[in-house]
Amino acid sequence: MTRNEIPKKMGPAIAGISYAFPAASRSVAELGQEAQLTSSAETLESFGFGRVHVADTESPYELALTAARKVLAETVVDPATIGLLIYGGTPGSMSFAAATDAEEAARGLCTMSRFKFPATRLQYDLELPNAWTFAVDQLSCTTLLSAARLARSLCLTEGIERALCVSSEFFPANAGREAIFNCTSDAACAVLIERDGERNRLVSATNVTKGYYWDVDALRDEIVASYFPTARHVLLRTIADAGWAPGDVDWIIPHNVSMRSWEILSSLLGLPKARVFSENIARHGHTLAGDNFINYRDALDGGCIKPGQRVVMFSYGFGAHWTGVAVEA
Amino acid sequence: MTLPKMVLVTGATGLVGGGVLRRILADDLGVEVFALTRDAAGWNRLANALGVLAPRVVPVRGDVTLPHLGLEPLVRRRLELQISAIVHAAADTSFSRTLQHSLTVNAVGTENVVRLAADCARLERLSFVSTAFVAGRATGSIPEADNGCLAGWVNAYEESKYEAESIVRSTGLPWTVLRSSTIVCRSSAGDVSQINAVHRALRIYHRGLAAMMPGDRNNPLDVVTADFVSDAIARLTFDPRAEGKTVHLCAGRNALTLGELVDTAYEVWAAEPAWRKRGVERAMITDPETYRLFEQAVHQTGDPRLRAILTSLSYFIPQLALPKVFETSVAEDLLGSAPPCSREFWLPMLKQLLATNWGHSVREAA
Repeated sequence: MTRNEIPKKMGPAIAGISYAFPAASRSVAELGQEAQLTSSAETLESFGFGRVHVADTESPYELALTAARKVLAETVVDPATIGLLIYGGTPGSMSFAAATDAEEAARGLCTMSRFKFPATRLQYDLELPNAWTFAVDQLSCTTLLSAARLARSLCLTEGIERALCVSSEFFPANAGREAIFNCTSDAACAVLIERDGERNRLVSATNVTKGYYWDVDALRDEIVASYFPTARHVLLRTIADAGWAPGDVDWIIPHNVSMRSWEILSSLLGLPKARVFSENIARHGHTLAGDNFINYRDALDGGCIKPGQRVVMFSYGFGAHWTGVAVEA
Repeated sequence: MTLPKMVLVTGATGLVGGGVLRRILADDLGVEVFALTRDAAGWNRLANALGVLAPRVVPVRGDVTLPHLGLEPLVRRRLELQISAIVHAAADTSFSRTLQHSLTVNAVGTENVVRLAADCARLERLSFVSTAFVAGRATGSIPEADNGCLAGWVNAYEESKYEAESIVRSTGLPWTVLRSSTIVCRSSAGDVSQINAVHRALRIYHRGLAAMMPGDRNNPLDVVTADFVSDAIARLTFDPRAEGKTVHLCAGRNALTLGELVDTAYEVWAAEPAWRKRGVERAMITDPETYRLFEQAVHQTGDPRLRAILTSLSYFIPQLALPKVFETSVAEDLLGSAPPCSREFWLPMLKQLLATNWGHSVREAA
């Protein structure tokens, strides 16, 4: 059987992807001039970064709602068939700082504002009456890939027909635009997963968490060193779990971190650099959790990914998580 | 009455020189040694280490980098009259020096020793302690001979020792060039008394501060013990058959592969629950091009700690990707035994490093 003769396979699949960026953007050079970078603009440009999106007026929730409404409009699904809504992103709805004493901890837990959850507000605004709604947290840039994996599992085990995964991640104003040599964008992304799809099937997923690296500041160098061997390990496992060999992979859909790191990783995998869909690194920068699905959508729209092609998405999140997802387009 | 054989040992306070000195004294009660030392502190340390052998050693204040070895004229004259053998083991073995510095100590120092040797009327042997890695970037089978300089070198130490060998060979003296492999511990018990570049690299990988190393799992990586090297030098210095020979004191065909050495290290570390808990991923053995990309990326980021780590590795890690097997037929013929197998001491050495926290607990205890 040749690769063009695709058997009719059904299973949990990506039914739609939409994203929303804020209106404003800045070039890396402009960010440098505004003292929003830790490294020099030239260094970040040499790593492939060109322009990033900056929310001057928009809120994370606004962008999340925009992206989610777009994907529902584009896929034209009955909102009542969405049985699951998973939200992840700013603000971390379940995260809390480690309090230094009991009094401080109590203060942090005593406000009713704590229960103003963006996930439930989305469920209301999107009119998803049957959506079991919750948020995933503390997964940083792997949030949306992990949400998609979770949705896939719940579709399979609980018979959920459709699941909507939404992320919206912002860097706080004036917090700078660099996360360890990566230039970051504000963005929201919404992904609709359905239980029985034929195209863009979610074939396998791998998550590796290494709690040793939880203290990012203290173990920064160790994290840089561990990134590559663990990323390679996760990607190879994802590919093997899909029943593929590394050479079978047509596209790697990256998170938009330094192009240099992708050159190294593709080399470690023995895959040509050209198979990494890297166009968006310069255009959008690192949108934290949204990268992989934004890139997947753009690669589909641009005609890069063809039906039946084998695609692997990969992301790393500080904290520390490595996640891979295999998709048959 | 028979006069004692007088031997001059340079570098006697070092790992190899000290070992040679001890072995010479232990092997032949008719031998006495002049030990060239730069200062009183060095001699005191050596004398303490020698114990009952110390009375047979005459300390001589001097420095190989100085003209006439920095010897007082009367002392030099005495050496010229009495010495029948010289073991020149003094060297700056650091891989990270500038070429100028390495040449000053290792080549100019050798030139100064050769000048003294030329004035020694009774000289029967000049044993020059070199390194097998004068072969530099050459790959394949490395003969026990002048390997030329076309391949170039990985660091200034290798190049300076090549220059020093050339100086020794060009004399009309009865020389022997004794090329040591990389020494990783004193004996087959794995005891480490001097932390070197290999140990520091192992520590970097143990701490999970480096992700990869260039090379191939199947490349042989030659390492030996100090005792093997010292004992061989002590024997061959008095062996007439060794004159004019270049001898590899290496594991040769018995060397383990890079993959075996790395696997053993991670197995030892993984036996430690605290290390296992961290989940440090095993460093990858990659092609040199990928490793170079990683180095470039780190240097571009400007992160000072990672840069320092990679710089410290850069002085010798390229050797991992330059597979070579050191021929040992001359050594085997002269020593009458097969080269040692690295398997015997690599594992105990790793355990020793771990137990002493790379020598820190030993130093703290001291």
